[in-house]
Amino acid sequence: MEIAIAVYDLTKQYGKILAVDNISFTVNQGEVFGFLGPNGAGKTTTIRMLTGLTRPTSGRVTVAEYDVVRESIKAKERVGVVPEVSNVYDEMSAWDNLVFAAQLYRVAKNEREERAKELLELFGLYERRADRAGNFSKGMKRRLTIAAALIHKPGILFLDEPTSGLDVQSSRMIRNLTKDLNKNGVTVFLTTHYIEEADQLCQRVAMINQGKIVAVDNPEKLKASVEKHQIIEVSFDQPQNLERKLADLNYPNEVTQVGDKFRLHVRNTSEAVPLIIDFARENGLKIVSINTLNPSLEDAFVEMTGLSPEVMATEKEQGKKVASLG
Amino acid sequence: MVRAWADSLIKAFYIAKKDAKVYYFKAPNFTYGLLIPVSLYLAFSMAGEISSKLIVAGLTSLVMLFGTTSIEAVAVVLEKQTGTFDRLLAAPISLFTIVLGKALAGFFFGLILAAVVLFPLAAVSGTIVMNPLLAVIAIAFSSMAFSALGIVASAYAKWVPEAQMLSNFLRFPMVFLSGTFTALEALPSQLQVVARFLPLTYSVEALRSSIAEPAVTYTYILDIVALTLFAIVLLALSTKILEKRIA
Repeated sequence: MEIAIAVYDLTKQYGKILAVDNISFTVNQGEVFGFLGPNGAGKTTTIRMLTGLTRPTSGRVTVAEYDVVRESIKAKERVGVVPEVSNVYDEMSAWDNLVFAAQLYRVAKNEREERAKELLELFGLYERRADRAGNFSKGMKRRLTIAAALIHKPGILFLDEPTSGLDVQSSRMIRNLTKDLNKNGVTVFLTTHYIEEADQLCQRVAMINQGKIVAVDNPEKLKASVEKHQIIEVSFDQPQNLERKLADLNYPNEVTQVGDKFRLHVRNTSEAVPLIIDFARENGLKIVSINTLNPSLEDAFVEMTGLSPEVMATEKEQGKKVASLG
Repeated sequence: MVRAWADSLIKAFYIAKKDAKVYYFKAPNFTYGLLIPVSLYLAFSMAGEISSKLIVAGLTSLVMLFGTTSIEAVAVVLEKQTGTFDRLLAAPISLFTIVLGKALAGFFFGLILAAVVLFPLAAVSGTIVMNPLLAVIAIAFSSMAFSALGIVASAYAKWVPEAQMLSNFLRFPMVFLSGTFTALEALPSQLQVVARFLPLTYSVEALRSSIAEPAVTYTYILDIVALTLFAIVLLALSTKILEKRIA
Protein backbone atom coordinates (compact mmCIF):
# COMPACT_ATOMS: atom_id res chain seq x y z
CA MET A 1 0.00 0.00 0.00
CA GLU A 2 1.38 3.40 -0.96
CA ILE A 3 2.03 5.93 1.76
CA ALA A 4 0.49 9.40 1.30
CA ILE A 5 1.80 10.99 4.50
CA ALA A 6 4.70 9.76 6.62
CA VAL A 7 5.59 11.34 9.95
CA TYR A 8 8.86 10.47 11.68
CA ASP A 9 9.69 11.51 15.26
CA LEU A 10 7.91 14.85 14.86
CA THR A 11 8.32 17.33 17.70
CA LYS A 12 7.26 20.94 18.15
CA GLN A 13 8.35 23.02 21.07
CA TYR A 14 7.19 26.60 21.75
CA GLY A 15 9.59 27.90 24.38
CA LYS A 16 9.09 25.62 27.35
CA ILE A 17 5.84 24.17 26.02
CA LEU A 18 6.10 20.84 24.26
CA ALA A 19 3.11 20.98 21.89
CA VAL A 20 3.89 17.80 19.95
CA ASP A 21 6.10 15.16 21.47
CA ASN A 22 8.02 12.86 19.12
CA ILE A 23 5.09 11.42 17.16
CA SER A 24 5.34 8.97 14.26
CA PHE A 25 2.65 7.51 12.02
CA THR A 26 1.79 6.95 8.37
CA VAL A 27 -1.35 7.63 6.35
CA ASN A 28 -2.08 5.30 3.45
CA GLN A 29 -3.03 6.60 0.05
CA GLY A 30 -6.80 6.71 -0.42
CA GLU A 31 -7.82 6.49 3.22
CA VAL A 32 -9.63 8.88 5.54
CA PHE A 33 -7.34 9.18 8.52
CA GLY A 34 -8.70 10.74 11.68
CA PHE A 35 -6.61 12.62 14.19
CA LEU A 36 -8.51 12.68 17.46
CA GLY A 37 -7.88 14.55 20.62
CA PRO A 38 -9.33 17.04 23.05
CA ASN A 39 -8.79 20.76 22.56
CA GLY A 40 -5.13 21.66 23.08
CA ALA A 41 -3.89 18.09 22.51
CA GLY A 42 -1.62 19.12 19.61
CA LYS A 43 -3.89 18.40 16.64
CA THR A 44 -3.66 21.81 14.98
CA THR A 45 0.09 22.11 15.61
CA THR A 46 0.55 18.72 13.95
CA ILE A 47 -1.57 19.61 10.93
CA ARG A 48 0.34 22.90 10.58
CA MET A 49 3.63 21.01 10.48
CA LEU A 50 2.24 18.48 8.03
CA THR A 51 1.14 21.24 5.66
CA GLY A 52 4.31 23.31 5.91
CA LEU A 53 2.70 26.20 7.79
CA THR A 54 4.94 25.67 10.82
CA ARG A 55 8.44 24.27 10.95
CA PRO A 56 8.99 21.25 13.19
CA THR A 57 11.49 21.59 16.03
CA SER A 58 12.72 18.14 15.06
CA GLY A 59 11.60 15.16 13.04
CA ARG A 60 10.53 14.79 9.45
CA VAL A 61 7.34 14.75 7.39
CA THR A 62 6.86 13.57 3.82
CA VAL A 63 3.70 14.29 1.86
CA ALA A 64 3.25 12.53 -1.48
CA GLU A 65 6.87 11.44 -0.99
CA TYR A 66 8.15 15.02 -0.81
CA ASP A 67 9.85 16.36 2.30
CA VAL A 68 7.60 19.14 3.60
CA VAL A 69 10.53 21.32 4.73
CA ARG A 70 13.10 20.71 1.99
CA GLU A 71 10.74 20.27 -0.97
CA SER A 72 7.87 22.38 0.33
CA ILE A 73 6.70 23.75 -3.05
CA LYS A 74 6.32 20.27 -4.57
CA ALA A 75 4.63 18.95 -1.43
CA LYS A 76 2.22 21.91 -1.29
CA GLU A 77 1.26 21.51 -4.95
CA ARG A 78 -0.23 18.12 -4.07
CA VAL A 79 -2.31 19.05 -1.04
CA GLY A 80 -5.34 21.12 -0.17
CA VAL A 81 -5.55 22.69 3.27
CA VAL A 82 -8.70 23.65 5.17
CA PRO A 83 -7.67 25.35 8.42
CA GLU A 84 -9.69 25.33 11.63
CA VAL A 85 -10.84 28.91 11.05
CA SER A 86 -12.19 29.72 7.58
CA ASN A 87 -9.72 32.00 5.86
CA VAL A 88 -11.33 33.35 2.73
CA TYR A 89 -10.91 37.01 1.83
CA ASP A 90 -13.99 38.81 3.18
CA GLU A 91 -13.51 41.74 0.80
CA MET A 92 -13.55 39.52 -2.29
CA SER A 93 -16.50 37.77 -3.91
CA ALA A 94 -16.88 33.99 -3.70
CA TRP A 95 -15.89 33.79 -7.38
CA ASP A 96 -12.78 35.96 -6.95
CA ASN A 97 -11.72 33.95 -3.91
CA LEU A 98 -11.73 30.76 -5.95
CA VAL A 99 -10.06 32.33 -8.97
CA PHE A 100 -7.31 33.73 -6.73
CA ALA A 101 -6.78 30.31 -5.12
CA ALA A 102 -6.53 28.78 -8.60
CA GLN A 103 -3.99 31.41 -9.65
CA LEU A 104 -1.76 30.55 -6.70
CA TYR A 105 -1.71 26.94 -7.89
CA ARG A 106 -1.20 28.02 -11.52
CA VAL A 107 -4.39 26.36 -12.75
CA ALA A 108 -4.82 27.25 -16.46
CA LYS A 109 -7.23 30.16 -17.10
CA ASN A 110 -10.01 28.25 -18.89
CA GLU A 111 -9.79 25.36 -16.42
CA ARG A 112 -9.75 27.85 -13.53
CA GLU A 113 -13.16 29.27 -14.41
CA GLU A 114 -14.65 25.87 -15.18
CA ARG A 115 -13.42 24.51 -11.87
CA ALA A 116 -14.64 27.54 -9.89
CA LYS A 117 -18.12 27.15 -11.41
CA GLU A 118 -18.15 23.41 -10.74
CA LEU A 119 -17.12 23.86 -7.08
CA LEU A 120 -19.50 26.73 -6.39
CA GLU A 121 -22.33 24.62 -7.76
CA LEU A 122 -21.22 21.60 -5.73
CA PHE A 123 -21.20 23.64 -2.53
CA GLY A 124 -24.47 25.41 -3.27
CA LEU A 125 -22.83 28.83 -3.61
CA TYR A 126 -23.09 29.49 -7.34
CA GLU A 127 -26.11 31.79 -7.01
CA ARG A 128 -24.11 33.88 -4.50
CA ARG A 129 -20.87 33.88 -6.53
CA ALA A 130 -20.78 37.66 -6.96
CA ASP A 131 -21.41 38.39 -3.26
CA ARG A 132 -18.60 39.39 -0.92
CA ALA A 133 -17.51 36.48 1.27
CA GLY A 134 -17.76 38.84 4.24
CA ASN A 135 -21.54 38.72 3.88
CA PHE A 136 -21.64 34.92 4.07
CA SER A 137 -22.76 32.87 7.08
CA LYS A 138 -20.21 30.77 8.96
CA GLY A 139 -21.34 27.61 7.15
CA MET A 140 -21.11 29.27 3.73
CA LYS A 141 -17.62 30.59 4.49
CA ARG A 142 -16.59 27.10 5.56
CA ARG A 143 -17.88 25.65 2.30
CA LEU A 144 -16.07 28.34 0.33
CA THR A 145 -12.84 27.61 2.23
CA ILE A 146 -13.13 23.92 1.35
CA ALA A 147 -13.93 24.77 -2.27
CA ALA A 148 -10.78 26.92 -2.43
CA ALA A 149 -8.72 24.03 -1.05
CA LEU A 150 -10.05 21.76 -3.81
CA ILE A 151 -9.58 24.16 -6.73
CA HIS A 152 -6.39 22.42 -7.97
CA LYS A 153 -7.74 18.87 -7.50
CA PRO A 154 -5.32 17.86 -4.74
CA GLY A 155 -4.60 14.19 -4.06
CA ILE A 156 -4.42 14.82 -0.32
CA LEU A 157 -6.82 17.00 1.66
CA PHE A 158 -6.14 18.26 5.18
CA LEU A 159 -9.29 19.14 7.09
CA ASP A 160 -8.80 20.77 10.48
CA GLU A 161 -12.03 20.53 12.53
CA PRO A 162 -14.12 20.93 9.37
CA THR A 163 -17.56 20.88 11.01
CA SER A 164 -16.73 22.67 14.25
CA GLY A 165 -19.37 25.26 15.03
CA LEU A 166 -21.44 24.63 11.91
CA ASP A 167 -25.17 24.19 11.43
CA VAL A 168 -26.58 20.72 10.80
CA GLN A 169 -26.99 21.20 7.04
CA SER A 170 -23.43 22.43 6.48
CA SER A 171 -21.96 19.73 8.73
CA ARG A 172 -23.84 17.00 6.87
CA MET A 173 -22.82 18.42 3.51
CA ILE A 174 -19.16 18.47 4.51
CA ARG A 175 -19.25 14.93 5.85
CA ASN A 176 -20.93 13.64 2.68
CA LEU A 177 -18.43 15.53 0.58
CA THR A 178 -15.54 14.01 2.53
CA LYS A 179 -16.95 10.54 1.77
CA ASP A 180 -17.40 11.39 -1.93
CA LEU A 181 -13.89 12.80 -2.26
CA ASN A 182 -12.49 9.69 -0.64
CA LYS A 183 -14.47 7.48 -3.04
CA ASN A 184 -12.76 9.38 -5.85
CA GLY A 185 -9.34 8.51 -4.45
CA VAL A 186 -8.53 11.60 -2.37
CA THR A 187 -6.62 10.88 0.83
CA VAL A 188 -8.18 12.82 3.71
CA PHE A 189 -6.40 13.78 6.92
CA LEU A 190 -9.07 14.88 9.34
CA THR A 191 -8.60 16.38 12.77
CA THR A 192 -11.67 16.51 14.97
CA HIS A 193 -12.77 16.39 18.54
CA TYR A 194 -16.15 14.98 17.49
CA ILE A 195 -15.44 11.31 18.07
CA GLU A 196 -18.64 10.16 16.36
CA GLU A 197 -17.61 12.09 13.27
CA ALA A 198 -14.31 10.24 13.13
CA ASP A 199 -16.13 6.96 13.71
CA GLN A 200 -18.43 7.65 10.76
CA LEU A 201 -15.77 8.83 8.33
CA CYS A 202 -12.38 7.35 9.13
CA GLN A 203 -10.83 4.07 8.10
CA ARG A 204 -8.10 4.59 10.69
CA VAL A 205 -7.65 7.00 13.55
CA ALA A 206 -4.78 8.23 15.68
CA MET A 207 -5.52 9.41 19.20
CA ILE A 208 -3.41 12.22 20.56
CA ASN A 209 -3.32 13.57 24.06
CA GLN A 210 -0.89 16.10 25.54
CA GLY A 211 1.18 16.01 22.36
CA LYS A 212 1.66 12.25 22.36
CA ILE A 213 0.01 9.61 20.21
CA VAL A 214 -1.64 7.01 22.40
CA ALA A 215 -3.10 4.73 19.70
CA VAL A 216 -3.31 4.32 15.92
CA ASP A 217 -5.73 1.76 14.52
CA ASN A 218 -9.10 1.09 12.87
CA PRO A 219 -12.04 2.42 14.91
CA GLU A 220 -13.51 -1.07 15.28
CA LYS A 221 -10.25 -2.54 16.53
CA LEU A 222 -9.91 0.30 19.03
CA LYS A 223 -13.44 -0.35 20.27
CA ALA A 224 -12.73 -4.06 20.52
CA SER A 225 -9.67 -3.35 22.62
CA VAL A 226 -11.90 -2.00 25.41
CA GLU A 227 -14.47 -4.77 25.20
CA LYS A 228 -13.23 -6.16 28.48
CA HIS A 229 -15.68 -3.67 29.95
CA GLN A 230 -19.02 -4.47 28.36
CA ILE A 231 -22.14 -2.61 29.30
CA ILE A 232 -25.61 -3.94 30.06
CA GLU A 233 -28.42 -1.40 30.10
CA VAL A 234 -31.47 -2.51 32.02
CA SER A 235 -34.71 -0.83 33.13
CA PHE A 236 -37.19 -2.09 35.71
CA ASP A 237 -40.83 -1.25 36.31
CA GLN A 238 -39.91 0.29 39.68
CA PRO A 239 -36.55 2.02 39.23
CA GLN A 240 -36.43 3.69 42.68
CA ASN A 241 -33.42 3.14 44.93
CA LEU A 242 -31.99 0.29 42.91
CA GLU A 243 -28.54 1.68 42.12
CA ARG A 244 -27.08 0.69 45.47
CA LYS A 245 -28.71 -2.73 45.44
CA LEU A 246 -27.37 -3.38 41.95
CA ALA A 247 -23.94 -2.25 43.04
CA ASP A 248 -24.11 -4.78 45.86
CA LEU A 249 -24.31 -7.52 43.28
CA ASN A 250 -20.87 -9.03 43.06
CA TYR A 251 -20.70 -8.94 39.33
CA PRO A 252 -20.69 -5.34 37.99
CA ASN A 253 -17.54 -3.24 38.11
CA GLU A 254 -19.62 -0.09 38.08
CA VAL A 255 -23.31 0.89 38.08
CA THR A 256 -24.66 4.22 36.88
CA GLN A 257 -28.23 5.42 36.56
CA VAL A 258 -29.09 7.10 33.24
CA GLY A 259 -32.68 8.35 33.32
CA ASP A 260 -34.87 5.36 34.24
CA LYS A 261 -32.17 2.91 33.13
CA PHE A 262 -29.17 1.41 34.85
CA ARG A 263 -25.84 0.79 33.15
CA LEU A 264 -23.83 -2.07 34.54
CA HIS A 265 -20.22 -2.29 33.44
CA VAL A 266 -19.38 -5.99 33.38
CA ARG A 267 -16.63 -8.28 32.14
CA ASN A 268 -18.86 -10.87 30.54
CA THR A 269 -22.46 -10.19 29.52
CA SER A 270 -23.48 -13.83 29.17
CA GLU A 271 -22.59 -14.46 32.81
CA ALA A 272 -24.08 -11.20 34.06
CA VAL A 273 -27.51 -11.35 32.41
CA PRO A 274 -28.76 -14.39 34.43
CA LEU A 275 -27.64 -12.64 37.61
CA ILE A 276 -29.69 -9.56 36.72
CA ILE A 277 -32.75 -11.71 35.97
CA ASP A 278 -32.33 -13.43 39.35
CA PHE A 279 -31.98 -10.00 40.98
CA ALA A 280 -35.27 -8.83 39.44
CA ARG A 281 -37.08 -12.00 40.54
CA GLU A 282 -35.76 -11.80 44.11
CA ASN A 283 -36.80 -8.14 44.43
CA GLY A 284 -40.23 -8.57 42.79
CA LEU A 285 -39.30 -6.37 39.84
CA LYS A 286 -40.27 -6.65 36.20
CA ILE A 287 -37.60 -6.05 33.59
CA VAL A 288 -38.96 -3.49 31.10
CA SER A 289 -35.94 -3.73 28.78
CA ILE A 290 -32.45 -5.17 28.79
CA ASN A 291 -29.76 -4.40 26.18
CA THR A 292 -26.06 -4.88 25.77
CA LEU A 293 -24.15 -1.80 24.61
CA ASN A 294 -20.98 -2.15 22.63
CA PRO A 295 -18.12 0.16 23.60
CA SER A 296 -18.02 3.28 21.46
CA LEU A 297 -14.94 4.93 20.01
CA GLU A 298 -15.38 7.46 22.78
CA ASP A 299 -15.06 4.67 25.35
CA ALA A 300 -11.86 3.60 23.61
CA PHE A 301 -10.62 7.18 23.64
CA VAL A 302 -11.37 7.59 27.33
CA GLU A 303 -9.68 4.30 28.10
CA MET A 304 -6.57 5.13 26.10
CA THR A 305 -6.05 8.76 26.94
CA GLY A 306 -6.94 8.40 30.57
CA LEU A 307 -9.20 11.43 30.24
CA SER A 308 -12.12 11.35 32.61
CA PRO A 309 -15.54 10.78 31.07
CA GLU A 310 -16.51 14.24 32.38
CA VAL A 311 -13.83 15.89 30.23
CA MET A 312 -15.03 14.02 27.18
CA ALA A 313 -18.62 14.82 28.05
CA THR A 314 -17.74 18.49 28.19
CA GLU A 315 -16.03 18.25 24.81
CA LYS A 316 -19.02 16.44 23.45
CA GLU A 317 -21.52 18.89 24.88
CA GLN A 318 -19.59 21.77 23.30
CA GLY A 319 -19.85 19.90 20.06
CA LYS A 320 -23.52 19.12 20.43
CA LYS A 321 -24.32 22.75 21.05
CA VAL A 322 -23.03 23.69 17.66
CA ALA A 323 -23.66 20.73 15.46
CA SER A 324 -25.81 17.71 15.47
CA LEU A 325 -24.08 14.66 14.03
CA GLY A 326 -26.70 13.34 11.71
CA MET B 1 15.53 27.51 -13.10
CA VAL B 2 14.31 30.32 -15.38
CA ARG B 3 10.89 28.70 -15.48
CA ALA B 4 10.77 28.53 -11.68
CA TRP B 5 11.65 32.24 -11.46
CA ALA B 6 9.05 33.15 -14.06
CA ASP B 7 6.50 31.06 -12.17
CA SER B 8 7.36 32.87 -8.92
CA LEU B 9 7.06 36.27 -10.59
CA ILE B 10 3.64 35.41 -11.99
CA LYS B 11 2.44 34.26 -8.56
CA ALA B 12 3.86 37.43 -6.99
CA PHE B 13 1.92 39.44 -9.57
CA TYR B 14 -1.32 37.60 -8.66
CA ILE B 15 -0.73 38.40 -4.98
CA ALA B 16 -0.09 42.04 -5.86
CA LYS B 17 -3.28 42.16 -7.93
CA LYS B 18 -5.28 40.67 -5.10
CA ASP B 19 -3.77 43.13 -2.59
CA ALA B 20 -4.57 46.03 -4.88
CA LYS B 21 -8.17 44.87 -5.06
CA VAL B 22 -8.51 44.19 -1.35
CA TYR B 23 -6.42 46.85 0.35
CA TYR B 24 -5.02 49.55 -1.88
CA PHE B 25 -7.15 51.34 -4.37
CA LYS B 26 -9.60 52.82 -1.96
CA ALA B 27 -10.17 56.53 -1.46
CA PRO B 28 -8.94 56.71 2.19
CA ASN B 29 -5.54 55.27 1.23
CA PHE B 30 -4.98 57.91 -1.44
CA THR B 31 -6.05 60.61 0.98
CA TYR B 32 -3.66 59.39 3.70
CA GLY B 33 -0.80 59.05 1.21
CA LEU B 34 -1.27 62.64 0.10
CA LEU B 35 -2.46 64.38 3.25
CA ILE B 36 0.54 63.89 5.53
CA PRO B 37 3.21 64.79 2.91
CA VAL B 38 1.31 67.92 1.87
CA SER B 39 0.93 68.93 5.53
CA LEU B 40 4.64 68.38 6.08
CA TYR B 41 5.43 70.44 3.02
CA LEU B 42 3.27 73.28 4.34
CA ALA B 43 5.02 73.09 7.71
CA PHE B 44 8.43 73.26 6.01
CA SER B 45 7.41 76.06 3.65
CA MET B 46 6.30 78.22 6.59
CA ALA B 47 9.87 78.10 7.91
CA GLY B 48 11.25 79.71 4.76
CA GLU B 49 11.06 79.88 1.00
CA ILE B 50 11.70 76.60 -0.82
CA SER B 51 12.65 76.38 -4.48
CA SER B 52 10.11 74.76 -6.79
CA LYS B 53 12.60 72.02 -7.79
CA LEU B 54 13.04 71.04 -4.16
CA ILE B 55 9.26 71.01 -3.67
CA VAL B 56 8.58 68.80 -6.68
CA ALA B 57 11.32 66.27 -5.83
CA GLY B 58 10.70 66.32 -2.07
CA LEU B 59 6.94 66.11 -2.19
CA THR B 60 6.91 63.35 -4.82
CA SER B 61 9.30 61.25 -2.73
CA LEU B 62 7.37 61.90 0.47
CA VAL B 63 4.05 60.98 -1.10
CA MET B 64 5.53 57.67 -2.23
CA LEU B 65 7.11 57.04 1.17
CA PHE B 66 3.92 57.70 3.12
CA GLY B 67 1.56 56.14 0.61
CA THR B 68 3.41 52.83 0.26
CA THR B 69 4.52 52.38 3.88
CA SER B 70 1.10 53.28 5.32
CA ILE B 71 -0.74 50.55 3.54
CA GLU B 72 2.16 48.11 3.26
CA ALA B 73 2.63 48.20 7.01
CA VAL B 74 -0.91 46.90 7.34
CA ALA B 75 -1.13 44.51 4.37
CA VAL B 76 0.92 41.66 5.86
CA VAL B 77 0.00 42.02 9.52
CA LEU B 78 -3.71 42.25 8.73
CA GLU B 79 -3.52 39.01 6.78
CA LYS B 80 -1.68 37.40 9.68
CA GLN B 81 -4.41 38.56 12.05
CA THR B 82 -7.33 37.38 9.92
CA GLY B 83 -5.70 34.05 9.04
CA THR B 84 -5.64 34.70 5.30
CA PHE B 85 -1.83 34.73 5.40
CA ASP B 86 -2.04 30.98 6.03
CA ARG B 87 -3.81 30.67 2.67
CA LEU B 88 -0.70 32.12 1.01
CA LEU B 89 1.64 30.00 3.14
CA ALA B 90 -0.25 26.80 2.31
CA ALA B 91 0.02 27.48 -1.42
CA PRO B 92 3.07 26.32 -3.42
CA ILE B 93 4.84 29.68 -3.14
CA SER B 94 8.11 30.58 -1.45
CA LEU B 95 8.01 33.09 1.38
CA PHE B 96 10.15 35.47 -0.70
CA THR B 97 7.59 35.34 -3.51
CA ILE B 98 4.83 36.26 -1.05
CA VAL B 99 6.92 39.19 0.21
CA LEU B 100 7.69 40.23 -3.36
CA GLY B 101 4.00 40.11 -4.28
CA LYS B 102 3.14 42.29 -1.31
CA ALA B 103 5.91 44.73 -2.25
CA LEU B 104 4.75 44.87 -5.87
CA ALA B 105 1.30 46.03 -4.80
CA GLY B 106 2.89 48.87 -2.82
CA PHE B 107 5.20 49.59 -5.73
CA PHE B 108 2.31 50.14 -8.18
CA PHE B 109 0.45 52.18 -5.59
CA GLY B 110 3.53 54.37 -5.14
CA LEU B 111 3.81 54.89 -8.91
CA ILE B 112 0.23 56.08 -9.12
CA LEU B 113 0.60 58.41 -6.15
CA ALA B 114 3.81 59.87 -7.64
CA ALA B 115 2.07 60.49 -10.96
CA VAL B 116 -0.84 62.15 -9.16
CA VAL B 117 1.60 64.55 -7.47
CA LEU B 118 4.49 65.05 -9.87
CA PHE B 119 2.74 66.15 -13.06
CA PRO B 120 0.23 68.63 -11.60
CA LEU B 121 2.82 70.00 -9.18
CA ALA B 122 5.40 70.50 -11.95
CA ALA B 123 2.78 72.22 -14.12
CA VAL B 124 1.53 74.50 -11.35
CA SER B 125 5.01 75.49 -10.15
CA GLY B 126 6.33 75.87 -13.68
CA THR B 127 9.06 73.31 -13.04
CA ILE B 128 10.50 71.69 -16.14
CA VAL B 129 11.62 68.11 -15.66
CA MET B 130 14.80 68.00 -17.75
CA ASN B 131 14.80 64.22 -18.15
CA PRO B 132 11.33 62.65 -17.64
CA LEU B 133 12.66 59.12 -18.29
CA LEU B 134 15.21 59.45 -15.48
CA ALA B 135 12.44 60.81 -13.25
CA VAL B 136 10.26 57.79 -13.97
CA ILE B 137 13.17 55.43 -13.24
CA ALA B 138 13.93 57.24 -10.00
CA ILE B 139 10.24 57.04 -9.01
CA ALA B 140 10.09 53.33 -9.78
CA PHE B 141 13.18 52.44 -7.74
CA SER B 142 12.09 54.70 -4.88
CA SER B 143 8.64 53.18 -4.78
CA MET B 144 10.07 49.66 -4.56
CA ALA B 145 12.51 50.60 -1.78
CA PHE B 146 9.77 52.33 0.27
CA SER B 147 7.36 49.47 -0.27
CA ALA B 148 9.99 47.01 1.02
CA LEU B 149 10.51 49.26 4.04
CA GLY B 150 6.79 49.07 4.84
CA ILE B 151 6.89 45.28 4.68
CA VAL B 152 9.71 45.11 7.22
CA ALA B 153 7.45 46.87 9.74
CA SER B 154 4.52 44.66 8.80
CA ALA B 155 6.52 41.43 8.99
CA TYR B 156 7.86 42.32 12.41
CA ALA B 157 4.57 43.48 13.95
CA LYS B 158 1.98 41.23 15.52
CA TRP B 159 -0.86 43.75 15.41
CA VAL B 160 -1.88 46.56 13.07
CA PRO B 161 -1.24 49.38 15.59
CA GLU B 162 2.25 47.97 16.24
CA ALA B 163 2.95 48.01 12.49
CA GLN B 164 1.74 51.58 12.18
CA MET B 165 3.86 52.66 15.13
CA LEU B 166 6.95 50.98 13.69
CA SER B 167 6.28 52.51 10.32
CA ASN B 168 6.04 56.00 11.84
CA PHE B 169 9.20 55.35 13.82
CA LEU B 170 11.02 54.67 10.56
CA ARG B 171 9.63 57.34 8.27
CA PHE B 172 9.17 60.51 10.36
CA PRO B 173 12.86 60.88 11.31
CA MET B 174 13.65 60.25 7.64
CA VAL B 175 11.65 63.31 6.60
CA PHE B 176 13.90 65.53 8.69
CA LEU B 177 17.18 63.71 8.14
CA SER B 178 17.05 63.17 4.38
CA GLY B 179 17.17 66.79 3.28
CA THR B 180 13.71 66.51 1.79
CA PHE B 181 13.00 70.22 1.43
CA THR B 182 16.52 71.52 1.98
CA ALA B 183 19.85 70.86 0.35
CA LEU B 184 21.55 67.90 2.05
CA GLU B 185 24.69 70.00 2.43
CA ALA B 186 22.75 72.37 4.67
CA LEU B 187 22.51 69.65 7.34
CA PRO B 188 25.24 69.29 10.02
CA SER B 189 28.03 66.96 8.85
CA GLN B 190 27.10 64.16 11.34
CA LEU B 191 23.51 64.17 10.08
CA GLN B 192 24.76 64.06 6.50
CA VAL B 193 26.40 60.72 7.38
CA VAL B 194 23.15 59.47 8.92
CA ALA B 195 21.26 60.60 5.81
CA ARG B 196 23.37 58.24 3.71
CA PHE B 197 21.74 55.27 5.50
CA LEU B 198 18.21 56.39 4.60
CA PRO B 199 16.46 55.46 1.32
CA LEU B 200 14.55 58.76 1.19
CA THR B 201 17.87 60.62 0.76
CA TYR B 202 18.62 58.74 -2.47
CA SER B 203 15.08 59.06 -3.76
CA VAL B 204 15.04 62.85 -3.31
CA GLU B 205 18.54 63.17 -4.74
CA ALA B 206 17.74 61.08 -7.84
CA LEU B 207 14.56 63.02 -8.50
CA ARG B 208 16.32 66.37 -8.09
CA SER B 209 18.98 65.18 -10.48
CA SER B 210 16.45 64.14 -13.15
CA ILE B 211 14.63 67.46 -12.79
CA ALA B 212 17.81 69.57 -13.01
CA GLU B 213 20.05 67.55 -15.35
CA PRO B 214 19.25 66.46 -18.90
CA ALA B 215 21.74 63.56 -18.82
CA VAL B 216 22.60 60.75 -16.42
CA THR B 217 25.01 61.89 -13.74
CA TYR B 218 27.35 59.82 -11.61
CA THR B 219 25.34 60.78 -8.50
CA TYR B 220 22.12 59.65 -10.17
CA ILE B 221 23.57 56.23 -10.92
CA LEU B 222 24.77 55.88 -7.33
CA ASP B 223 21.32 56.88 -6.09
CA ILE B 224 19.62 54.20 -8.21
CA VAL B 225 22.16 51.58 -7.09
CA ALA B 226 21.56 52.57 -3.45
CA LEU B 227 17.75 52.35 -3.88
CA THR B 228 18.13 48.94 -5.52
CA LEU B 229 20.28 47.72 -2.64
CA PHE B 230 17.76 49.06 -0.12
CA ALA B 231 14.93 47.22 -1.90
CA ILE B 232 16.85 43.91 -2.05
CA VAL B 233 18.12 44.07 1.54
CA LEU B 234 14.73 45.11 2.95
CA LEU B 235 12.87 42.39 1.03
CA ALA B 236 15.37 39.77 2.22
CA LEU B 237 15.09 41.11 5.76
CA SER B 238 11.27 40.93 5.62
CA THR B 239 11.47 37.32 4.43
CA LYS B 240 13.84 36.43 7.28
CA ILE B 241 11.65 38.14 9.88
CA LEU B 242 8.54 36.38 8.59
CA GLU B 243 10.38 33.05 8.55
CA LYS B 244 11.19 33.49 12.24
CA ARG B 245 7.70 34.76 13.08
CA ILE B 246 5.94 31.73 11.61
CA ALA B 247 8.45 29.09 12.77
